[in-house]
Amino acid sequence: MTELGAFAWALRRDLRLAMRRRSDALNVLGFFVLACSMFPLAVGPQREWLMRIGPGVIWVAALLATMLALPRLFEHDHADGTLDAMIASGRSLPLIVAGKLVAAWLVTALPLIVLTPVLGVAFSMPDGALPTMLASLALGTPILLGLGAIAGALTLGLRAGPTLVTVLCLPLYVPVLVFGAGAVEAQTSGLSPHAHLALLAAGMLAVALAAPPVAAQALRISVE
Amino acid sequence: MTAAVAFGGLRADGFALSRGERRLFAGLSFELAASELLLLLGPNGSGKSSLLRALLGLAPLAAGTLATGAGPVKPRRLCDAALYQGHAGAAKGELTAVENLALSAALDGTVAAGASAGDRALRDALGEVGLARQRDVETRRLSQGQRQRLSLARFALALRAPVRPLWLMDEPSAALDRDGAALLVRMLDAHLARGGAAIVATHLPVAPAAGRVRELRLDAFAPRLAATPATRADNGAPAR
Repeated sequence: MTELGAFAWALRRDLRLAMRRRSDALNVLGFFVLACSMFPLAVGPQREWLMRIGPGVIWVAALLATMLALPRLFEHDHADGTLDAMIASGRSLPLIVAGKLVAAWLVTALPLIVLTPVLGVAFSMPDGALPTMLASLALGTPILLGLGAIAGALTLGLRAGPTLVTVLCLPLYVPVLVFGAGAVEAQTSGLSPHAHLALLAAGMLAVALAAPPVAAQALRISVE
Repeated sequence: MTAAVAFGGLRADGFALSRGERRLFAGLSFELAASELLLLLGPNGSGKSSLLRALLGLAPLAAGTLATGAGPVKPRRLCDAALYQGHAGAAKGELTAVENLALSAALDGTVAAGASAGDRALRDALGEVGLARQRDVETRRLSQGQRQRLSLARFALALRAPVRPLWLMDEPSAALDRDGAALLVRMLDAHLARGGAAIVATHLPVAPAAGRVRELRLDAFAPRLAATPATRADNGAPAR
């Protein structure tokens, strides 16, 4: 197995596991759709209000849905000994983690992005804002997952793990939320969303490079 | 059928391990050469599993050095040459037996990374450990003994590949029936005969015909309980 083989191995493995445990992914998706569709019912059908809150609501729901998926990222592998086996194999752990993260994004974040146009209709989002909404989610969700992976790896095996992940992640998630929802806000108010999107893209690149090695090191410490 | 491996030897010096505040053992040293089997003996909680994990860098060493034939190494470096089976089965319950074997064997480098469930080598290995009929059964539906046989299938595949000369097994026979235990001994035999080495933590007597068997009683290195001055020395500075 080559170095890149470890990445492909983990990606394929986690996608197959997700296929076997579809309820997990559907849970996240269901939460996202439910949380979003409650707002028009609660706030009332005034178009201006819905248009105003739409991007923010979708972003908050996507953020919380991602957090729902975080505890499972390493917890199961830790419990059944497969995480130990991955480390003991001597393969590149950062690449294995990267493969797991890409799989997690495909399983949890991509379906949210695919469903967002439908939810956009519920919030009568203007057509022009939709591409910006999708772009901000596509750039922002990897940041959420990457940061969450580091927190999840650090708190692995602790009884208060999931709570700690929330506490550790939320402050780091705030900028992502601000720039993500801000991009759409800028677009609808006639400004250019490019500055927001560029910042999200920079953040995503930084997290994509840093999260796998940092999470891998945290995992090594956590299994000790 | 088996592929020869080259094991360069292993030497552990002054190993000390703690779990939390408690020192499990100190001043433990051993050597392992090709075609040798080291049995780790001792009561529950004497540190057998922890020692195996420490050899791979999965648990921290309080003191001690590790060296191969080529010189001193960090425990983590041993992973490339080792085939480790922990006491948790390291199998995903929702995958079938053959899928689990394909995944772990790909990680071991004993089958191609993309080996499909129909791969002949995988089928043969499962047949060898007596799981031919459980090939497509989800692992969570297997009994404890069958899961342990599934772990053995990894080692059956490894016997055919010239990789990972050092086997580290944690209680490989705890749930095996008599046939399974005999199978384990046969596989250890073949591994020692091909020039490999193994460290096995076990409660049961394992006596392969080939190679040399050494025993290491971990409780002999445990700190004594009474708080005599000698014990305090044992508990404190890492013994060399």
